[in-house]
Amino acid sequence: MIEIFSNTSHVHLLLNHVPTTAFSVALVLFVIALVNRSETLKKASLAMFFLIAAVTIATYTSGSAAEAWLRGTNAMTELPPNVLSDAIHEHEDAALWATILMGLTGFFSWLSLWQGRSVKRRPSWSVPLVLVLALASFAAMSRTAYLGGHIAHVEIRPDVVARHKACLALVDEEVKHPGSVPNAPQNCPWQTAVDDVARAQGTQPAVKSTARELGDFVIGRTWMWPTLETLHFVGLCLLFTTVLIVNLRLLGMITVVPYSAVYQLLPIGMLGFAVNLITGMLFFVGIPSQYNANPVFYWKIVFVLLGGLNTTYFMLVDDAWRAGPGIDAPAGSKLAAASAIFIWVAVLYCGHMLPFIGNAF
Amino acid sequence: MMALLQQIEGSGLSQWVRQSGSLWAFPGILLAHTYGMAIMVGIIAGIDLKILGLVPALPLTPLQKFFPLVWVAFWLNAITGTILLAADATTKLANPDFGVKMAFIVLAVINQRLIQKRVFGDPEIDRRPFTPGAKMLAVMSLVCWLGAITAGRLLAYVGNPGGL
Repeated sequence: MIEIFSNTSHVHLLLNHVPTTAFSVALVLFVIALVNRSETLKKASLAMFFLIAAVTIATYTSGSAAEAWLRGTNAMTELPPNVLSDAIHEHEDAALWATILMGLTGFFSWLSLWQGRSVKRRPSWSVPLVLVLALASFAAMSRTAYLGGHIAHVEIRPDVVARHKACLALVDEEVKHPGSVPNAPQNCPWQTAVDDVARAQGTQPAVKSTARELGDFVIGRTWMWPTLETLHFVGLCLLFTTVLIVNLRLLGMITVVPYSAVYQLLPIGMLGFAVNLITGMLFFVGIPSQYNANPVFYWKIVFVLLGGLNTTYFMLVDDAWRAGPGIDAPAGSKLAAASAIFIWVAVLYCGHMLPFIGNAF
Repeated sequence: MMALLQQIEGSGLSQWVRQSGSLWAFPGILLAHTYGMAIMVGIIAGIDLKILGLVPALPLTPLQKFFPLVWVAFWLNAITGTILLAADATTKLANPDFGVKMAFIVLAVINQRLIQKRVFGDPEIDRRPFTPGAKMLAVMSLVCWLGAITAGRLLAYVGNPGGL
């Protein structure tokens, strides 16, 4: 079990089923909810979109860590024999777009869940927007999964298959008309086709991946990193606005205020989180090596996922709404509130310690 | 003056913060400084955004219960900030950006006192719309804290960043 989690390649192979398989289940449930006009099913599928989007963050970062695990610290290190280097970069670029779309789907799913409770009628654009984003995410994620399959499954990679078939055709021709093909091979080993493709890749000028171009944009400008860091701090403060005021209310601090009033603060916190997700992803794409093998980053992602679960509790369980003006919150929501504060304090701790315990600068 | 700063930098505490390598030293003190910022600016920004018209259902008056927490966070940061300054006094005080940060914080604190006195001091606050003056104070508060955070972060980049 421990070996699975210490091998980031394995972690990525586990997680990649969530944005693909689990997401298609959520999408089907969402469509059924829209057809049957079932509010309960709609809430459940929106919550699934939100949670899957959170797991997608971990899937993306574990993918980068998986490549780093295969290569070690040296980018020139040889990959396992059946792994095609170009396929990794095609997959990574597709994953970047799919992750962005999935993030938008998660954000607007959450907003739709929040609106379902805070306003009498959801704005008319809310649910259709989620549907469009979810369909786009599904398409982008499917393409990512397809390209991901090409990394190690050389038998489905079109260029490898084409070379293998060309070889088989030669053997066939020689069998039908002996002596017609000089130096015809006796049989066609797959390894030869893979080697051919890898050699052809090597002769082409290396194309820079979109992810790397974005990363170079981030690290290539002196003002960029400090600006992103400052925005990351601003986002953190906005996140804490919500985390502190909402959860301290539930824990008994301003009980005269009903939960329904502090509930209106939640989008401020989600906006802060969105700012930090965007700036955080830009740091990650800028210098992935700071985070790929950094245990503190690993824990930070774990706590962010727990934060997503915690938020979902408040979206789906109506416990806290029993806290009207002057009424103490029920024990369940107090526990969720205390966990929320603990989780976000831990996320900040991990972020701060990235350079001190881990290897970021 | 420079001799005094060098003496502060050479003190046992300053050297421990700078060189001990302990997680409780520089990393821990900076962590406390970051938590202080999150608590203080987090709550103040919430109050400012409320005054500016977000979260209409939330009454303002009960939020004054958060002021003790805000000021505890402020003093936490004043203390941790002083320790961090002592560890690197010669470079930080020579950096004009440090002056900018302090100016923003002084303005933000004065502004916060004004919000507590004028906006929260009005017994009618939750019964009528906020005055343009109150909204102005809220905007000033957001601008000053944004300025303080920006100048604080840039201390690591502009002027002579020094050893920390």
